Amino acid sequence: MTRRELLVMALALGVAPGVAFAAGDKRDASAPRIVTLFQGATDTAVALGVLPVGVVESWLDKPIYPYLRSALSGATLVGLETQPSLEDIALLGPDLIVASRFRHQRIEPLLSQLAPVVMFDEIYRYRETLTVMGEALSRQANAAALSTRLTRRLSRLRRRLREHFGARWPVTVSLLDIRANEVRSYLAESFGGSVLAALGFRWNDVQRDLSGVSLKLSGVEGLPALDADVFFVMRHGRGAAVAEHYRRLRAHLLWQRMAAPRQGEVWEIDAIDWSLSGGILGVFAMLDDIDAWLTGAERRGRT
Amino acid sequence: MAEIQALRLGRFSRAIVWRPWWRVVMAWGVVGVALAGCLSLGKIALTPPELLAALSAPLSDTGLIVWQLRLPRTLLAALVGGALALSGWLLQQVMRNPLASPDTLGVTSGASAAAVAYFSLLAADLGHAWLPLAAAGGALMAVGIVYWLAWQQGVTPLRLVLMGIGLSALLTAATTFLLVSSPFSTTLSAYVWLTGSVYGGNWSEVARLSIGLALALVAMAPLVRYALLAAVDDALAVGIGVRVQRMRGALTLLAAVIAGLAVAWGGAIAFVGLIAPHLARRLVPVPGAAQIVMAIAAGAIVVMLADLVGRTLFLPLDLPAGIFVAAIGAPFFLMLLIRQVR
Repeated sequence: MTRRELLVMALALGVAPGVAFAAGDKRDASAPRIVTLFQGATDTAVALGVLPVGVVESWLDKPIYPYLRSALSGATLVGLETQPSLEDIALLGPDLIVASRFRHQRIEPLLSQLAPVVMFDEIYRYRETLTVMGEALSRQANAAALSTRLTRRLSRLRRRLREHFGARWPVTVSLLDIRANEVRSYLAESFGGSVLAALGFRWNDVQRDLSGVSLKLSGVEGLPALDADVFFVMRHGRGAAVAEHYRRLRAHLLWQRMAAPRQGEVWEIDAIDWSLSGGILGVFAMLDDIDAWLTGAERRGRT
Repeated sequence: MAEIQALRLGRFSRAIVWRPWWRVVMAWGVVGVALAGCLSLGKIALTPPELLAALSAPLSDTGLIVWQLRLPRTLLAALVGGALALSGWLLQQVMRNPLASPDTLGVTSGASAAAVAYFSLLAADLGHAWLPLAAAGGALMAVGIVYWLAWQQGVTPLRLVLMGIGLSALLTAATTFLLVSSPFSTTLSAYVWLTGSVYGGNWSEVARLSIGLALALVAMAPLVRYALLAAVDDALAVGIGVRVQRMRGALTLLAAVIAGLAVAWGGAIAFVGLIAPHLARRLVPVPGAAQIVMAIAAGAIVVMLADLVGRTLFLPLDLPAGIFVAAIGAPFFLMLLIRQVR
């Protein structure tokens, strides 16, 4: 399933179960005017079929993530996620603002004067975002349907992974984010990490003991801490600096000694779906990637 | 001089020089114009009649923008700028050094280190509510340490400045360490704070900062005359009956409190504290109340304009005022120095 099909499907699910329509064609007349101030809220709003009238600039592929562009063609950009333009929000006259305490605590009193505000503590707990936004937007049924769909897909994929790895399951995983001058490993608490954890993946002993959402490495000497059976690797940026850093890493002996590179289990994935989207559509795209990876691996295994 | 008049009210008496005050009045006129400009410019520009209409109808769409978004933010900018200017003026006077500013005493670096430590260690549990307190506490602690290190049967201005620079370097290193070792998201909010921003300023912040500054001003009133005398040689000051060490300590503490309050709500925009007093001295050459008021006006104007530029020039981006304080202030400062040398 391509991402576009998925989006159309999610939209269809959200707006009127059973009635499919192309993304961004029309707005649900009963839908409230909402402004979403973090990426996960934008993603979730679109998944619920409520197209936001105002969104903040994306982190990568600015100004809007490609998978949301057609749905958000009518939305106004209200500046950066870290510092949205309050006047733009006021001018949109929203019925509801979705924000996060993590980013927007300072402007919470101002936001609440402009419109009712839904405040999330964190920006990466996609399940909570989905449920709470479903209630706030009176789209409980859609939220529940998406949630059930997700649970079903997770259990199907968990089974598939168990069959694929056989006795080796549960395997260890590292979800790596390559940046221009450092490497992040996202732990089980993080957005992408929580999906992998729900699928049954585990982290190595070093990383399992860490608290927080990520482990930050700025030199190569720490690389062995990332060791795992499977690597999912994303690049944080499309530039040459990131590509060059990744090339240098792969050429390094410490990298080549780790289990995943030795066994050829390094899987390159997209940073938007696996980390930056922060919402349920991103999660579905992650699951698609893992399905595709297993299919590819099984085909290779047969030949 | 006939220009000087004595004002006597019972035991209270002041010598007043009226001449510089018309310039001061004009400067506050400019503050008024800047305020009006800040209120009418933004995502939607308002003409003067529209601005008046918006001001008289706080619940209309434009009224909401002007009353809840633009006005508190602009006032916060003005208060922060004015306070830093005042602190800078006091310090330049007490240190007898034209380069003294809240930066040199460690106010900014102390507040920065405390704020960044707060962001990376406490913000996750406590939220941002206590950030101003942490920043102001850091500023005062840094000044306290500088003072204690410089103490040698009293302090001399030179030792204070040198100790301040030394401690600032140390605290900057600590700040950098905290930034490098904390998560990315923390770094982002910390950077905005370090640049200095009045983004999201609201009425309760304006109220708290004004109360703090009002108290500091009341405490300052009886000390102003000593601030004027601080420029003379220690021996001479002792000769005319000034308790030099006590006054120096009191004025330094006062300057630190004022700057600490400003930095707590505005972030590290302390460059204003260096340039605004120089501006005031150009316009009102004689040290005195007129010069102080002029410095406050200059500081307020610089930060208000910097914030205006930051939030309107790159729409819909809303950039920290601190960037433009330096961008507007530095060339101006250089021009001032060049003209002074000639």
